[in-house]
Amino acid sequence: MPRLHSWRYFFSAAVFGLVGVLIFWRAFALQTGAQAEAFIDQSKFYSRLYTTIYPPRGEIYDRNGSLLAGNRTVYEVGVNLASLRGEAPKAIALALSSLVGADYNRVLELIAYGQENSLVYVVLADYILPEKVNLLRNYNAEREPSEGRACSNDPALIALECRQHLARSYPEFDLASNVLGFVNQDNYGNFGVEQQYQDLLAGVPESIWVPTDPNQAEVLPNIPGGASLVLTLDREIQTMVEDVLDEHILLSGAESATAIVMDPRNGEILAMTSTPRLDLNNYQTYTELYDGDRPYNRAVGQVYEPGSIFKVITVAAAFDMGVSYPEQVYPDKGVFSHGGITVRNWNGAAWGDQTILGCMQHSLNVCLADLAVNKVGAEKFYEYVEAFGFGRPTGVDMANEQLGSLRTPAVAGWYPSDLVTNSFGQGLAVTPMQMVMSVSAFVNDGKMAIPHIVKAVVQDGSQYSLSPQYAGAPISAETARTMTNMLADSLEYESSLAMVPGYRLAGKTGTAQIPTPNGTYDPNQTNTSFIGWGPVDDPRFIVFVWIERPESSIWASEVAAPAFADIVERLVVLMNIPPDNQRLAQGQGD
Amino acid sequence: MFKRSKDILQAYNQAPWRRQMQIIGYIAAALVAISLVGALYLNITARAATAGRLVLYSRREISDAEQRIEDLKTQLAFISSTEVMQQRAGELGFKPLSPHAITYLYVPEYLGRPQGAQLAPGAGSRFGALFRMPESYTQSLFDWVGELFADLGGF
Repeated sequence: MPRLHSWRYFFSAAVFGLVGVLIFWRAFALQTGAQAEAFIDQSKFYSRLYTTIYPPRGEIYDRNGSLLAGNRTVYEVGVNLASLRGEAPKAIALALSSLVGADYNRVLELIAYGQENSLVYVVLADYILPEKVNLLRNYNAEREPSEGRACSNDPALIALECRQHLARSYPEFDLASNVLGFVNQDNYGNFGVEQQYQDLLAGVPESIWVPTDPNQAEVLPNIPGGASLVLTLDREIQTMVEDVLDEHILLSGAESATAIVMDPRNGEILAMTSTPRLDLNNYQTYTELYDGDRPYNRAVGQVYEPGSIFKVITVAAAFDMGVSYPEQVYPDKGVFSHGGITVRNWNGAAWGDQTILGCMQHSLNVCLADLAVNKVGAEKFYEYVEAFGFGRPTGVDMANEQLGSLRTPAVAGWYPSDLVTNSFGQGLAVTPMQMVMSVSAFVNDGKMAIPHIVKAVVQDGSQYSLSPQYAGAPISAETARTMTNMLADSLEYESSLAMVPGYRLAGKTGTAQIPTPNGTYDPNQTNTSFIGWGPVDDPRFIVFVWIERPESSIWASEVAAPAFADIVERLVVLMNIPPDNQRLAQGQGD
Repeated sequence: MFKRSKDILQAYNQAPWRRQMQIIGYIAAALVAISLVGALYLNITARAATAGRLVLYSRREISDAEQRIEDLKTQLAFISSTEVMQQRAGELGFKPLSPHAITYLYVPEYLGRPQGAQLAPGAGSRFGALFRMPESYTQSLFDWVGELFADLGGF
């Protein structure tokens, strides 16, 4: 190598070396200098996406695993404004208005708003069903259907994007709608189980940074979905009860009806309904159906004066105190005065000597008022009424439960006349659920089962069953048995329309006048109800029926009792309960 | 021995390019070594990136599949709803039973149909908790070498 040219090599080496040193120096300066933190923050910002993950809402099943509330795929349709060209906004508006049902002018307004505010993406419609999106995907018959986010196969609609997500869906439409409640577009439960178990069903949305660098594809945090619920409801029984109630509303011309079927042994609600019922997939009609202060679920959200079915509480208190018994004779004179008021029997007649069984059989107000005033006494009467759970919530796991209305001697505003009217179920207000819980004491050896609607919770792959709870024992087991037998005899002796051949049932009718806003009672309209249970020797169900303001008859024995019988006649089939003679014969055979 | 060393020194003195070639050889060897390490590093990084992409893609697929399952379950519930089933039963000639039309038969030891639904899977994904990415997909070559030396040092 000629020594003459060697300086060129050294010069080149020096230049490249210097450049290298400068690069290293600059890199070092950027890593450690004043701007280093800002650069690092910037790089981190672009290396991750901040995303909020909404876990899928938990499902709701009936006790046998039939889906009552699930999730369906729906689409959000939006427009990528950067891809909009020429007359595309009008083409998009036309397509969405004709195929998806969007408003043509509204779509144009949204697009214009997005363009004026330099937005990248604008949502034009949401909760669009897949069937409608498929129409967009096949819009241009000469092209292949579009896939993925591309919403349409037509070049004029290239800017349309479809993003799928889940939305609440109810396969049974209005079945058990009063129990389930519904979920609005903000994923928030309204009424019923959806509201009561909102936190559990919805899960906890989590906002996280998702790395865009594949080398940082760390395991994302496991965000559990909402818990699923298994209800105590039986879909078949629920359907049957709703069908029977609808039939009897038609037959009686009633304003509305409510029914509850409960397993008295553990408080599991097998069916619960009231009218009107809402198509849960079209919950926007809620305001049309439930105008004013009409409650969504009357079984827990409506109080009413129960009338004669409340007499079972008065008699149970007297029996439990030992101051009366079924065969005790009461000379009914047809009129009773106390506390400044006078009460008469439902037909205004004097019934002469009647046993307590006869008083219940003929539902005599005079007899019950005398029993409450002269045998039980105000103090003990209200002790028992409160022990039976009236005046406080039952604890049923449903939203919007009402307390009822109960004045006691300990509260200002109570008058001695209240004891008289309360003894036969007037002048106080209860919810149907309270009535059912109180009567569960009669079939449960004196213990009241707290009603509940959720049987099990399924979360993280495990099912957690809820055990029955009891709300104390207001009466003894002996009193409970005496009451059940007396009320079964009462039905048989009066040949009640509530009876079902082959099955011995116990129960009580209740016909109550309806208070008016001016403090009097409506002379022409009544609330008719019936509460019964059976089979008497091994009770498997309590059935409560309330038919409000019937037109065919004002008497519960003619309106509510037949509805009870119709429900029980089909219920024993669905619950697989053989007639008493077969069942008892088999029991003796064992 | 002394003469041979003297010969080599003389050869280098007479042709200094031999020393330059030697230096270039060393540098070339170093470059080859660095290139090998770089290629290895690039190869592993590229594989890790591909695997990372696959993980992200699979995660999206899992999410889509779960959503699809939810949707299909609900669609199945729609087509087996009470109203639909009652209609189908009616079309097939079935009628509701009255209690008097039933003959109950006692079957010893039969306890009846199982009570209550037993639902195995929950609504959310459980794969995340079960899945752990192997370290070899996330650690750099330097991490790996460092770990190797740390392990050796442990002996």
